[in-house]
Amino acid sequence: MAHLAHYRESHPLPFVITHWINLVGFILLIFTGFYIHYPFFPNFMSQARGVHIFFGFVIVINCIFRVVAAFFIKSAPAEGTRTVETDIHSWLPQKGNRHQLGAWIKYYLFIKKTHPLGAKFGVPQKISYGLIPFLILFMGYTGLCLWAPAQQVGFFSAGITLLGGLAGVRVWHYVFMWVFIIFIFIHVYLANIEGLSPTFMMFLWKEHPGLTYDPETGTITGYDDLGGSAPKTEAAPVAK
Amino acid sequence: MTRSVIDPISRIEGHLRIEMEVTNGKVTDAWASGGLFRGMELVLQGRTPTDASYIAQRVCGVCPVSHCHAATYAAEDMYGITIPNGARLIRNMVECSQFLHSHILWFYNLYALDFVNPINALKADIADTASLAVAAGTSGADFAGVANRLSAFAENGQLSIFTGNWFDATVGGSAAYKLPAELDLIATTHYLEALRYQAEASQISAALGGKMPHIMSSIPGGTTFVPTEDKLGDIYYRAKEVRDWVKGTMLPDTLAIAPYYLDEFTVGHGPGRFAAWGVFDKASMDPAERYLPSGMLDVNLNLTDPDETKFLEYIDHSYYDGTGGLNPREGVTKPLYKDYDVKDRYSWTKAPRYDGKTYEVGGVSRMLVAYKRGVKDVVTYVDALADVLKKAAPAVFGNASEKDLLLALDTTLGRAAVRNYETLYVADLLVSLTEELITALKEGDASTFTEHGTGNGEGVGMWEAPRGALYHFERVKNDKITAYQEIVPTTWNVSPRGADDTPGPIEEALVGLTVDDPEKPIEALRCVHSFDPCVACSVHVSEPATGKQFNTVTSPWGVR
Amino acid sequence: MTTEESTISPLQARLDARGVSRRTFLKFCVAIAVMAGLGKAAAPDVAQALEKSTSGKLLPVVWLELASCSGCTESTAQVTTPDIASVVLELISLNYSETLSAAAGVSLDKARTDTIAAGGYVAVIEGAVVRGWDGNGLRIGGMKGTDLVKETCEKADAVIAVGSCAVDGGWQAGYPNPADCCGVTEFLKAEGISVPIINIPTCPVNPDWLVAVLVDYIMLGKLPELDDKNMPSLIFGESIHDNCPRRGHFENGEFVYQFGSVEEEKGYCLYAVGCKGPQTYAKCPITRWNESISWCVEAGSPCIGCANADPTRTTRNWVDTMTPFLKRQRNMRIGDLYFQAAPVAATVTGIVAAALVCHGFGMKAAGRTKGGADFEPIRTYDAKKLKQAGKEAPTTPINEGNVEKFTKGGDE
Repeated sequence: MAHLAHYRESHPLPFVITHWINLVGFILLIFTGFYIHYPFFPNFMSQARGVHIFFGFVIVINCIFRVVAAFFIKSAPAEGTRTVETDIHSWLPQKGNRHQLGAWIKYYLFIKKTHPLGAKFGVPQKISYGLIPFLILFMGYTGLCLWAPAQQVGFFSAGITLLGGLAGVRVWHYVFMWVFIIFIFIHVYLANIEGLSPTFMMFLWKEHPGLTYDPETGTITGYDDLGGSAPKTEAAPVAK
Repeated sequence: MTRSVIDPISRIEGHLRIEMEVTNGKVTDAWASGGLFRGMELVLQGRTPTDASYIAQRVCGVCPVSHCHAATYAAEDMYGITIPNGARLIRNMVECSQFLHSHILWFYNLYALDFVNPINALKADIADTASLAVAAGTSGADFAGVANRLSAFAENGQLSIFTGNWFDATVGGSAAYKLPAELDLIATTHYLEALRYQAEASQISAALGGKMPHIMSSIPGGTTFVPTEDKLGDIYYRAKEVRDWVKGTMLPDTLAIAPYYLDEFTVGHGPGRFAAWGVFDKASMDPAERYLPSGMLDVNLNLTDPDETKFLEYIDHSYYDGTGGLNPREGVTKPLYKDYDVKDRYSWTKAPRYDGKTYEVGGVSRMLVAYKRGVKDVVTYVDALADVLKKAAPAVFGNASEKDLLLALDTTLGRAAVRNYETLYVADLLVSLTEELITALKEGDASTFTEHGTGNGEGVGMWEAPRGALYHFERVKNDKITAYQEIVPTTWNVSPRGADDTPGPIEEALVGLTVDDPEKPIEALRCVHSFDPCVACSVHVSEPATGKQFNTVTSPWGVR
Repeated sequence: MTTEESTISPLQARLDARGVSRRTFLKFCVAIAVMAGLGKAAAPDVAQALEKSTSGKLLPVVWLELASCSGCTESTAQVTTPDIASVVLELISLNYSETLSAAAGVSLDKARTDTIAAGGYVAVIEGAVVRGWDGNGLRIGGMKGTDLVKETCEKADAVIAVGSCAVDGGWQAGYPNPADCCGVTEFLKAEGISVPIINIPTCPVNPDWLVAVLVDYIMLGKLPELDDKNMPSLIFGESIHDNCPRRGHFENGEFVYQFGSVEEEKGYCLYAVGCKGPQTYAKCPITRWNESISWCVEAGSPCIGCANADPTRTTRNWVDTMTPFLKRQRNMRIGDLYFQAAPVAATVTGIVAAALVCHGFGMKAAGRTKGGADFEPIRTYDAKKLKQAGKEAPTTPINEGNVEKFTKGGDE
C-alpha cells in the first residue's frame, strides 16, 4: 500500500471553496429538482422553486468562475509535489499521463497490480472532469428553457424547439440530472476508496503525509511526513 | 338507367359518398362509401386506458362524450370497478346535454334545410306568420327582425351557406320544398334560435366537462368534476331553459312541418331490425334498466338482450385486405386501398353484422326498444306520435297495425319525429338528474371517484351516441393498451355490403326512392340525412399488428 | 331593411333584431381589440370598422374538412359573441362547408370552385392532410383530399389552419401515424405552395380565437402578429400555468394527488396528476370555453396540452408529446415500446451503484482500500521507451516501506 502526500498546492483555497459550493448546490438542486418533478410532500413548492432557481444560477456562475480561474490560478500538477503551474494544465492532457488510459482501466479492473504513476487526475477522471462544465452549462441552459421568464427569449425558445418542445426539454433536463447523480456516485467512490485523505484535503484543506513525486521525471522521489510522525513502516523517510 | 352520385354529402359529420342506380326515376340500387381512413385504434396502442378516454373521443367532434364514456366503461370493466353515485349522475348529465346539443343541431341546422327554404321565407307575411305560430302552438319571436335580417343577407347577393342550394329540386315532378312562406319563416327563425340553444346545451356539457366538444372530466374511475351547489344551480337553470325550448318550439315545429311531408313517413325504410346498447345508467348499472335501455328487435319486433359474441365485422367490400367476418375481439385488418369500384371494394367503412344480419341503430332504435321495454314516458310519446300519424293520414295509417305504425317511425321523416320526442325525453331526464344530484350532494351521496390499481385483461363499453349504439373494446397489459376496437353507430348504418352482398341499412333504405334529377336527388339526400350519419368515427382499422407499413423513424425521444 | 336615411346603422338594426344590446356588442369589440393586440382603447375603431365591413361585401370563406372529427366546426358553432349565425350571415360568406352548407354533391363542389375562380377568399382548413395511399386515405367528391387542399389553398389570400390536426396532424399523426397524416404547413411546403398561413391549435379550436382572427383580418386587411410557428402571438404567447386560477395553490404547494380526495374538493393545483399547463402556451384560462362558462382545469381535469404543436414536425403532435396525461413526464418510445424516463434512469443509476459496491469489495480484497496499491516504479510508457533504447526498466513496486531503497541517491 502506498499513496502520495497531499499538499495544499494541489487544491488551492479558491478551488476548495468552489468545490464546497458545488457540493451544497448539487445536493440542493437534486433534492428540489426531484420535488419540482413530483411534489412528494405538500406545501413546499415555492421554496423548492426558489432554492432551485437560485442555486441553478449559483452553480452556473460558480462553474464559469472555476473554468476562468483555471487560467489564472496556479496549482500543483500532481500530488506529492509543491511545485505549481497554471491549473488548466492539469485539466488538459499532461505529459505525465499521456498514453495512460489503458493503464488506468487495467488498474481498476485488477489486471494491473500496481498503481499507475501520473498527474493529479487519472485519465478517466480527467475525461469526466472535462465534461462536467459542459454538463453544468447544459443543465443551466435547459433549466432556463423551463423557467418561464426566459422562455420567450430567442436564445432559449430556439433551444426549446430544437430539443422537442417543453415536454422534450423536461426530459433532457431530467435525464441529465441522473447523469450527474451517476457522476457523483463514481466520483465519491473513486476519490475515497483508497483512503479518506483526498476528502480531508478537498473539504478541510488538511495536508496528509505520503510519498513525494516529481512530475518532471514522473518518478517517486521519497517520503514526506510533514514534519510529524514517522511512517508506519520501519524504513526511514527521505525528505526532499 | 342512370347513376346518381352525391359526394360529398353535406350537413353530416365526416365524408360520405352515396352512389345510386336510378331506373325510371326510382333508385334500384345504392352504395354508401365512407371516404376517410384515420386509424384511431392504432394510435391508442401502448397508451394507458385513461389516455384512451381522452383520445378516443377525438374520433368524433359531434358525439365525443359518448366515445369518452364508452372508453371509460371499457376501462372500468377491465379494472373491475364501478363508478360511485355522483359520478354516475354527472356522466349521465354530460351525456344528456350532449344528446340535446346534437339532436337540436341535427334537426334544425343539418336536417331541416332539406325541408325548409329560408329564401322562400322572404315572401312571408309577418302578421300571418305570427298567427300561424300561435295556431301551431310553437314559440313566437321577432319574425320581422329575422325577415329584415334575411333580406339584408339576400340583397347582399352572397349566399354563404346557402350557396348552390337545392331549393329548386323536385320530387316526382312537384316542388320538393312544400312549406308555405310563413312556416318557412318560422322554421328559419327557429333555425337561428336553435343555434343558440344547441350552444346552451353544449354549455351544460362544458360546465361539467370543461369544454365541448371534447370533454375533459370523465376518466376511468369516475369524473374529475367536483359538484357544488353553485355550479349545479347554474346548470339546472340552463337545463330547464333548454327543456322549455324543446317542449315549446322543437316539438310543435316538428308537428307543424310533418303534415306537408306525409309522403316521407312512407319511404326510406331500413332493414326493420333495431339495435340499442342502452344509455343513461340507473343506480343498478344494468344496461337493460337504463333510462334508454338496451335491446335487439328482430323483423317482428321481438325483443332480446344484445349478445356481444354475435358481432361480426365483414370486409369483403371495404378497403382492407382479406374477406369474411370476424368478431371485433379477434379482428385482423390490413388497410388496402384499391380504386373505388362498387362491384368490388368501395368504402373505408367495414360491414358489421349481428347474427349475420344488418341492424339499424339510432334514435328510432332506442325509442322502439324503450317502447318494447315499457319505459313509461317513451310509450306515451310513441303512442302520441302514432296518433298524430293516424289523424294526419287516415288513408295510409288509419287501419295500420301497431307494428306498421312503429315501422312508420323508421322512415325518412319518422326518424326525425321520433328523435325529437327523444329529445324531449332526454331534456326532462337532464332536469330530473340535476335535481337528483343536488339532493345527493346535500345527503353526501355524491362521491365522484373510485380508485383502481394497475389494469390487466379485457374490457367492453357498450353505450349509445346520439346517432346510435356504440361499442368499445380494449385489451390491456400492465396498464397499456395492446388492442383497441370500436364499432360505432354509423358503421352499422352506413355499412357497405357484407360477404353475402346484402346491402347495409342506408343502402337498403335508399332503394325505391324517387329521383327526378340525378344531380339533385333530394329525396335520397333526405333519407341519408335521416340516419344522421357520422362518418369520421365509423372508419377505422381494428387490428394493429398488421397495419404498420408506414415509414416512421423511431428514437427514444419518440421524435425526429 | 333599414334605409340609408335611418339614424341607426344596418349592423345596429341587425343586432337589435337579435336582441343583442349595444353594450354586448361593444364588449365583443373590446375583446376583439385586445385579442388583436390593439388594446382596449381601440374598441371604438373596431366597432366602426365592423359596422363598415359588415355592411359591405362579405369575406368569402371556403371551409375544408380533411381528416377531422368535425369538432372544430362544432366548436365554432358554439361561438356566441358574435353568434354563429352572425358569423356565417354577416361577417363572412361561408361558401363551402361540408357540415353547414345547404347544398350537397356536385352543387356544393361547384360553390367551392366558383369561389376559387373569383379569388379574394380565405381558406379555413380543419383536420389533417392524409398522405397515405397516395392521398387516397381521404376522398371527397371523387377527388383525393390532397388535391383538394392544393387546389383550394393555392389561390387563397390566406389559409387558416384550425385545430391541432390542421396545424401538425394532431392525434391522427400520433404514433404510428396510420394514415400518414400531416399539418397544412408541412404539406403546402412540400408541394411548394407559398401562401400566408395562420395556425390556431388546440383540440378543438377555441371559436373565440378563430373569430378574433377573422375579424382582425376583415378589419385590418392583414394577418395578426404571428410567432415563429405562425400562431397568433397574443393568443399563444403566455403559458396556461401563468394564467391559471389555481396558480396560488401551486406556489403554496397545495396539490391534488388523487381524484376524489379532499384536496380535489378544495380545488388544489393539478400539477401532481400530470397537468401540462406549465408547458402549454395558450390563453385558455382567460378566454375559457363555450361562452366562457368553464375550461378544462375548472372542470377538475389536468390540462392535456392540446395546444402543443409544431407545424413542421408531425411527430411532435400533442398526443405523442403529452401522454401519459396523468403523469408528470411524457413517455419516451423505442419502436412500439413506451416507457417513462424515471424508472429507466433510476435503474441505470442503481446498476452503477451496485457495480461500485462490488468493485469496492474487489478493492478491499486486493488490499487497496488502505492507501491504494503500490506504485509502479516507472510509468509503463517510460518503461517501453527504455526498452526500445535497450535499457533495463525497474520492476519493483514502490511503497512507503521500500521507498528509501529506490530514491536514495537518485536511481536504483
